[in-house]
Amino acid sequence: MRRRPRLLVLVAAAVLAFLHIPIFLVGLYAFTTEEASFQFPPPGFTFRWFGVAARNDDIREALVLSLGVAAAATAVALVLGTLAAGAVWRSKFFGRETLSLFIVLPIALPGIVTGIALRSAINLAEIPFSFWTLVVGHATFCVAVAYNNVIARMRRTSPSMMEASMDLGASGWQTFRYVLLPLLAPALVTGGMLAFALSFDEIIVTTFTAGQQQTLPIWIFSSLVRPRQRPVTNVVALLVVVVTFIPIILSQRFARRADET
Amino acid sequence: MRSKLIVWLGVIALVAAACGDGGGDGASELPTEIGEGEGQVNIVAWAGYIEDGSTDPNYDWVTTFEEATGCQVNVKTAGTSDEMVALMTGSTEYDLVTASGDSSNRLIAGGTVQEINIDLIDAWDTVDPRLQDAPWHTVDGKHYGVPYEWGANVLAYNTEVFGDTPPTSWSVVFEEQTLPDGESNAGRVQAYDGPIYVADAALYMGVANPYALSDQQYQDALNLLRGQRELVGRYWHDAFIQIEDFTNEGVVASSSWPFQVNILQASGAPIASVFPTEGATGWADTTLMHSSAPNPNCAYMWLNHSITPKLQGDLAAWFGTVPAVLAACEGNELLGPDGCNTNGLGSFDQIKFWQTPTENCLGAGGTCVPYYKWVTDYLAVIGGR
Amino acid sequence: MASAAPPTSLVRRASAILYRRRGLRLFLLLGLPVLWLVGVYGGSLLSLLTQSFFRLDSFAGTIDRTPTLATWRDLFTGANMAVVGRTFTMAASVTIAAVIVALPLAYYIARFASRRTRAWMILAVLLPLWSSYLVRVYAWKLILAAEGIINWFLTRIGLGPVLDVVLDLPVIGGPSLSTSYLGQFIVFLYIWLPYMILPVETALERVPNSYLEASADLGAKPLTTFRRVVWPLAIPGIAAGSIFTFSLTLGDYIIPTIIGDSSPFIGLAIYSQQGVAGNLPLAAAFSFVPIAIMTVYLTIARRMGAFEAL
Repeated sequence: MRRRPRLLVLVAAAVLAFLHIPIFLVGLYAFTTEEASFQFPPPGFTFRWFGVAARNDDIREALVLSLGVAAAATAVALVLGTLAAGAVWRSKFFGRETLSLFIVLPIALPGIVTGIALRSAINLAEIPFSFWTLVVGHATFCVAVAYNNVIARMRRTSPSMMEASMDLGASGWQTFRYVLLPLLAPALVTGGMLAFALSFDEIIVTTFTAGQQQTLPIWIFSSLVRPRQRPVTNVVALLVVVVTFIPIILSQRFARRADET
Repeated sequence: MRSKLIVWLGVIALVAAACGDGGGDGASELPTEIGEGEGQVNIVAWAGYIEDGSTDPNYDWVTTFEEATGCQVNVKTAGTSDEMVALMTGSTEYDLVTASGDSSNRLIAGGTVQEINIDLIDAWDTVDPRLQDAPWHTVDGKHYGVPYEWGANVLAYNTEVFGDTPPTSWSVVFEEQTLPDGESNAGRVQAYDGPIYVADAALYMGVANPYALSDQQYQDALNLLRGQRELVGRYWHDAFIQIEDFTNEGVVASSSWPFQVNILQASGAPIASVFPTEGATGWADTTLMHSSAPNPNCAYMWLNHSITPKLQGDLAAWFGTVPAVLAACEGNELLGPDGCNTNGLGSFDQIKFWQTPTENCLGAGGTCVPYYKWVTDYLAVIGGR
Repeated sequence: MASAAPPTSLVRRASAILYRRRGLRLFLLLGLPVLWLVGVYGGSLLSLLTQSFFRLDSFAGTIDRTPTLATWRDLFTGANMAVVGRTFTMAASVTIAAVIVALPLAYYIARFASRRTRAWMILAVLLPLWSSYLVRVYAWKLILAAEGIINWFLTRIGLGPVLDVVLDLPVIGGPSLSTSYLGQFIVFLYIWLPYMILPVETALERVPNSYLEASADLGAKPLTTFRRVVWPLAIPGIAAGSIFTFSLTLGDYIIPTIIGDSSPFIGLAIYSQQGVAGNLPLAAAFSFVPIAIMTVYLTIARRMGAFEAL
C-alpha cells in the first residue's frame, strides 16, 4: 500500500467537505419551521413541508417532465454523439476539426446565448414550443458530453478488434452490436449519466426553449421568487438527491464491472 | 462539397434573419362577440398572480373558472418584465400577459398585443375609473388591456434602527447620513435594480412627470444614482432576496412592495413601511392580449373573470396589492375589512405609476430620454460608472 | 462450414457496401449531427449575430434593419467594456482557483484511492451536480450573509475581526461577504468545482505508476516529480475543466443577481438588453463577446489536448 501523505489526505477531505456542507445545509433547512426567510440556526424542526410537497401536483408534474426531457435528450445526445464519434475516429475528412469545435460549442458558450439563438430559430420556423423543443435545446449541449466520452473510449479500442470480428464472418452490424457496443458501454453509461445530470438541472436554456412546460428547475425558480413556502424547495432538492442516488450507484456498479472485463 | 453546404446554410440563415419578423402583425378587426371556448388559455403571469390552490387551498381562483368555461388555464411564470417581453414577442404561444406599466407600452408599440373590445368586458364599469383609461394600456383612445391589480413602491425600514423617528423622506436611501441608531446608512440600504428606478430618483428631485425627463433632468437623476451606488450593498430584484436581506443582511431601509413588508411583519421582523413626502412610484398591472392569440374566446372569458370581485380580493390578500375593482375591498374574508387600506388604497393620487418613457415625452411634446437609454445608463450606474 | 460464401442477406449487403464506400458511410454517420449542430445551432447563432448589424429605432422602439455599425459603437463604450472586463476577470480567477482546489482531491482519488473507494469518491464529487443549482446558490446566500453562518461561526471562535479586515479590502470586499466580489467568487468556485475535478482526475488516472516510480528512482523529490512528470500529463485535463469553469462563469446571469453587489456581468447585460429594452441588436453584439472569447479559448485548449480529455 502506498504511503499517503497526511497533508494531501487532509486537503482532499477538506475539499470534499467544501463540496458537501452546502448540500447538508440544504437538507437541514428542509426541516425548518420558518416560512419565508432563513436564519441560522434554524428556530425549530418540523416534517410538515414534506406533506406539503407530497400534496403539490405541480411538483409531481415538473419532476415527471424533467425526467422525461432528460431521458429523451440523453438518448438523442448518445445517438448523435456516437454517430459523430464513429465518423471522427477512423476517418479524416474535410471539416473534421470544425466539427469537433461545433460539437463543443453549445456547451462552451454561455447558456443565455444558446437560449436566445435557439429561441429565435424556433420562432422563425414557427414551431410551437413544446416538450420536443425542450429536448432539442437540451440535446444540443448534451451531445458534447456523449461525444467526448465515446470518442475517448473509442481511442482506447484497437481497430484490429473490428477487423478480427469481420474476418471471422460477422457482418458490419453484428460487429457493431456484439463487439463495439459492449466495448463502448461504459463510455455510454458515463456520458449518459453526465448528460442526464446536465439536462435535469438546467435552467437557462430551458427558460428560453420551454412553452407552457415547467421542468423541475423552472418550478424551483418560480417557487423561490415567491417566498411563501420556502422550505418546500429544500424538500424537493433533498428528495431529488436521495432518489437519484440509487440509479447512480447502480450505473457505477455496471460501469465498473464492464471496465474490469 | 460539405463546405458549400455549410455556406448555403449560412446564407439561408442570413436571409431568413433579414426577412423574418417573428413579431405580431397589426391589429385585425375587433371581435364583436365572444364565441365558443377553445378549451384552453395560456397566460404569462407574475409568480403568485394566478393561483389554482396548489400552493394553498384557500387561494384558488382558477378551478371555478375552468369548471364554468371549460377553458383549461395554463400559466407560464415570468420572473422579470424582460422575460415577459421575451416570451410574448415573436411567439404565438400565449394568449394573455399580466404586464406592468414598464413593459405594457413596449408590447403595445411593438404590435405584440391587440386592442381589446371593452364592450365584451361586461363588468368594465366596475373597474376603478382612475384606471380605465390609464396611459400604460390606453393609446390613442384604444384600450389594449384590462387592469388587474396595483401597488406602490413604499419605503420599508427597520423599526429598531429608526426607533422613535421613522423616516419621512427618500433621502435615507439616496443620501449619506447618520441614522438614529448612530451608524451611517452606507452599505445598509437598497434600491431597485430595474432601469425604471431612474424615475424614483427624478421623483425625489421633484420632477413633475418622472417618466418624461429632459436631458438635464435625466443627467441630474443619474448623478444622484451614482451617489447612491456608494451607499447600496446590493440592488434588489426579487422579493424573496430582499426579505432575506432585511432579515439577515442588516439592510435597514429600501424601496419595497407591501408584499415583502407583510411577509416580514408576519414572521415577526421589526419592519414597517411609510409613504414618503415626495410621493412614490408604483405599478399597475394590466392583462393584455397577444395580437395572434391562439385562443381569443377563452382569453376574453378570462379577462371577464379577472375583474370579478372575489378574484380581485383574494389576489389582493395573497399578494399585498390593491384591486382594480374597488368593490372587491368589501366582504372578502381573506382580505378583511381593512385589507385595501393596509395595501395602500388611499395613496393612489400620490403615486406615479410605471410607464415606458418614450422620446416624444409620452405624447406631451418636446424631446425626452427614451427607455432604452435608461437601460444602458442604469446598468452602467450599477456597474459603478 | 461455408467458406468464402458471398453475402446474401440485406443487412450483410448493406454493411459490405458501407465498409467499402467511405463517402456514403461518412454521410450517414455525419448527416444528422452536422445538420443539427452546424445547420440548426450554427445557423441560429449566425442569425443572432446578424442582428448586431441592425440598430434599435429609439422613436418607434422597433428594430431598423438597415445594416449599420452604430450598435457596435454602442458596445465599445467604457461602461460596457467594464462589464466585459469584470466578467473576464471573475472567470479567470475562478478558473485558476478551481485548478488549485481541484488538484489535491483529484490527485488523491487518482493515485491513492483503491478501485472501490475511487468509484465512491467520484460519486461524491458528482452528487452536488444532482442537487438543484438554484437551491445550492440560495444556501450559499445564507452562509455568506452578514448574520449568516460564516459570521456566526467566526464570532463564536473569536475571529470576528478577521472577517472585518477581509471585508474592508478594496474592490473585493464589501458590507458583507454576500454582497462582495469575494463572496461571488467563492460561490462560482463552489458551483463549478465538480466540472474541474472530473477531467483532472481522469487525466491523472492515466499517468502510469511506472512513470512516478521511475522518476523517484532517478532521484527526484516528490515535488519535482509533480512538477516535471505529473503536471504536464495533467494539463489536458486541466484545460478541459477550465473550458467549463471559464465559459460557465462568463455566461451566468443567475448567481450575480443573488450574490454580489449587483454589478452587471455579460450574461445579465444580454438578458436585460433583449427584454423590455427591446434592444436585440445590442444583446446580439454583447453575445458576440463571449463567443469570440470562447472560440479563442477553445482553440488554445485544443492545442493543449483538452478535447481528448473532456
